[in-house]
Formats: sequence, C-alpha cells, structure tokens
Amino acid sequence: MSNYIIEFKDVWKTYNMGNTEINALAGLNLTLEKGSFTAVMGPSGSGKSTFLHVAGILDTPTKGFFRINGKQASKLSVKEQAKLRRNEIGFVFQRFNLMSQLTILENLMLPMIDEDTDKAMGILDQMGLEEKYAKLPGQLSGGEQQRVAIARALINDPSIILADEPTGELDSKNANSIMQILHDLNANEGVSIVIVTHNPEAAAFTDQILQMRDGNIV
Amino acid sequence: MDLYKLSFNNIRRKKLRSALTMLGIIIGVATIVVLLGVTAGATSAVKDETNQYMYDVIISPASTSGSYLMDAEMVSKVENLPVLHSLREETIFSDNIAGNRVNFQGINDWKQVKLKNGTPGVVINQAVADKLGYSIGNKIKIKNQELTITGISKEEEQPLYIYINQDIAKQITDNKVSVIYASTNKDPKIAADEIKNQIDGISVETKSEKVAEVQEMTDQALLFMGFIASIALLVGIISVINTMLISVMERTRELGILKAIGFTNREIKGSILFESGFLGLSGGVIGVILGIAGIIVVANMLKFTEYIPEMMPLWLISGVIAGATLLSVLAGLYPAMRASKLNVVEALRNE
Repeated sequence: MSNYIIEFKDVWKTYNMGNTEINALAGLNLTLEKGSFTAVMGPSGSGKSTFLHVAGILDTPTKGFFRINGKQASKLSVKEQAKLRRNEIGFVFQRFNLMSQLTILENLMLPMIDEDTDKAMGILDQMGLEEKYAKLPGQLSGGEQQRVAIARALINDPSIILADEPTGELDSKNANSIMQILHDLNANEGVSIVIVTHNPEAAAFTDQILQMRDGNIV
Repeated sequence: MDLYKLSFNNIRRKKLRSALTMLGIIIGVATIVVLLGVTAGATSAVKDETNQYMYDVIISPASTSGSYLMDAEMVSKVENLPVLHSLREETIFSDNIAGNRVNFQGINDWKQVKLKNGTPGVVINQAVADKLGYSIGNKIKIKNQELTITGISKEEEQPLYIYINQDIAKQITDNKVSVIYASTNKDPKIAADEIKNQIDGISVETKSEKVAEVQEMTDQALLFMGFIASIALLVGIISVINTMLISVMERTRELGILKAIGFTNREIKGSILFESGFLGLSGGVIGVILGIAGIIVVANMLKFTEYIPEMMPLWLISGVIAGATLLSVLAGLYPAMRASKLNVVEALRNE
C-alpha cells in the first residue's frame, strides 16, 4: 500500500476555447501523504479548483496518472468511481450545497451507506448542531450550514476531505471556527484534508501550503 | 436514505405542477375508460341481442316429417356431422295447463330473456301471469316435473310462454330437440346441401349475413373509440415528459450534489423514472376512478344500467393503469438520461 493519499504524475487538463487551448492543469506533479493537512493557494485560473475536482473524481483529466488512496480512478467504471466518492472522499463546497428541501438530519443521512441515526446525531453533536437536526438548511446561518456540510462529508468515515473554498462565504469568526473544526479532525482523527483557498488566514491552520500557478505547483 | 424518498419529496414540493401533470394523465385515462367502457357495453348489448342469430346453419325437423321435434337418434346424427361445430340446441314444446296451451322454450343464454321481475331459471311471460294467475314462487307441474317460478319477463305478446333451462326442457321431452344452431367452416349453402343429402327428414336453412355485419361494425367501433381515446392519453404523457425535463433542468445543481456525494448514475436515473412512474400510476388510478364514475353517469343517461359490469372489464381497468404507468416511466427516460449524463462540475456551478 502506498503511503500517499493523493499522487499526481504529469497530469494535464486541457479545455478547448474556440481556437485556443487552455491548460487548467499543465503536467501537475504532486504527492500528499496520508494524514496530511494541506492548503492549495493561488490566483483565480491557476488550476487549483480543477486539481480538487480531478482529485475528487468529479472531473477527468485529459491525460496523466493519478491515484487516490492507492486507487487509480481512471481504471474504474463510472459506477465504481461513484462508490469511491461515496466511501472514501468527503466534499465540502464553498456554497455548502445542501439539499434545501431536506432537514439537517436527512441531509446528513442522504449519502449514508448503512443508515445509522445515532451515528449521524453523534456527528451533529460534534459540530454543535444537535438541536438543529429537524431544521431546514435555509433556517441556519452560513457557518452552521458549512458545519452541516462538513458533517455530511464525514458521515461515511472518508479517508480524505476535499474542501473547495470552505470559508469563502463566511465572516472571519465563522471561517476560523470552520478551520478549527477541520484542524481538529485532522489532528485527532487523522483524516487527510486538502483545502483550496484564497484566504491566508484559513491556510494558516494547515500543515503545508502549496502555491499553484498556470496549472502547476510553484 | 434512499432517493425514492427524495422523489416523493420532489413531487410534494411541487404540488401544483405535479397535480397539473397528473391532470393530463387523469383526463386521458378517464376518457379512455369512459369511451372504451361505454363502447364495450354497447358492443356487448348488441352481441346479446344478435347472438341468437349467430350461426351459419339452422337445422329443424322437415315439415313433411309431421313432428316439430327431432328425437335423440336424429340429434346425435346431426351433431356428429364433421362439417358442423359450435352447436346450440333449443327445445320448444307445449303442454296443457288448466285447459290452456302453454309453450315452453329451452334457454341457453338467459340474456335473451329480458326480465321484469325476479331471476332466471323458470320465467313466465306476462300473459301467463295474467291468464293463469301465476306469480314468482308458485309451482307449475308439467309432465313428471315440478318447477318453481323464479321470474317474469318483460314481453307483452299474447301467446303463453314459459322459459326454462334448455337442459330441463330436453329432460322433460326425453332428449328431443326442436332446433339445432351450428357453425361451419365451409360455405353455409354448400354445407346445408350436404347435410340435407346425408340425413332425411330435416330442413336446413342458412342465416342472413346482415347480423355478422352488425357485429363486425360494433367491433370496429370499439377499435375506433380506442384510437381516439389513446390520443387523449398521449397528450397526458407528453406533459409528463415536459414536466420531468423542466424538473431535471431546475434540479441540475441538486443532481450535481447527489453525484458529488457519491450517488451512481443508475441511482439518479432510477429516482427520476420512479418519480415519473409515480405520477403515471397516481394519474392512472385517479383517472380510472373518475372514468368509472363517468360510465355510471352515462349508463344512467342511456338507461343502460344492466350493462354496467360489461362497461368496466378488468382488461380495460388494469390495462389502462398499467399503460399509464409504463408510458410515464418511458416519458421519464429521456430526462433521466440527461440527468445521469450531467457533468458534475458544471452542474454544481449552475445557479
């Protein structure tokens, strides 16, 4: 078994915009160890979101080799990829992406493989949201919604959490509290975490900061 | 939590739209049920009225034989003829009751006898009731049999008539038969000549072709009504496609989230098909209920109530519900494919 949670070797992602080609990833080489807590920073268009999407198997690279927790997603069927996403990867998005018509508890349990209300309530408790389980996402503040999103990402005990601008829509107090939660998850439970962020304050919570520019690490 | 719960949630969340979509199916299904049901009832009524004329040849004793009944030997000769099939016997005889000559007719199909009161079994006509003073429950003794009157027929004609089951009529007359109706695969005229040559003392007639034409026309009417009504359902189904497509487009972001948190394309497709199938099933059931109500109204208007059971045959009810469900699932197929083919990253960017 590999010691790396993420391995990228010469990975390219090319978009065709009319006559010009844009390389969102330009031969990206990157390895992240298991249990690491990493921030990826860089200007808009540097390819950091594309990196996160490819790592989370939401997007497929044009070419190159990459593995997530030792598994080569490009060799898996679409169905197995979905399974890998569900079992091993927890996503946290900038805009929370909760299902607006479901309650907090239902949102949490939506991706759950073995339905276990006690476990879900336990994670809500950990996030300090136990009392809000019957509310709808719209009734919660941004910080609370993002904590629900983190709880949802944790529900199947993933080996990695990928967070795309998790503090992007939050004020600094809420942003710090979200980063503290992620930091504690990494420190206490050993979950590997990668965040993509513009915010140096958020990045300061992590163990290593990688800078991206023009589709590669600089 | 599974996605079927989510599908229900979507239907509930968009109550008005779901209801309007279902309304299309409801109207289509109700139209089919009423049109086909009433036509089926009418067809069945026409068949009942004309069934007694449904034969190719009619065989009776020749007038020269001096008897109006064929004995058992003659009957078996006729019935063993290989050219004939679908045989139907009828025994008509008369007897004296209290000095009056009463005709007894054996009945195979009680639908031919329109009842005013009571039930089939032993049915007297009004003339018997008036002249002999009989009513339901009275006993009549003929030859060695005692019969209890069960009903009174509607007809007003004068001759005294009592209708009894054909097998009882045959039993009373020592297995004699007045008329044998039969079908043949040959040309009826040729078959008739053949039979006359083979058996003496009988007369063979062929029927008119008008009756067959009438029956064929009612079958065609059923087909035509089915066609018209199917167009109504088609409109309903198109509205299901439309609704599901809009619903998928509106939910693009939501579907993206589902994919991002690990639902497979198959699960997402399944939930959309489930949603459209559910609309079809509910619409179908409500449509059938309304259709049945419609049939009852129409039947009462046409004074046709005795044919209500024939107007709602099981094939129609179950077929229409199954059809509406199946077609709705098919209607969801294209939207479901679109949903499962969504690019996650683009879907999540969707507002």
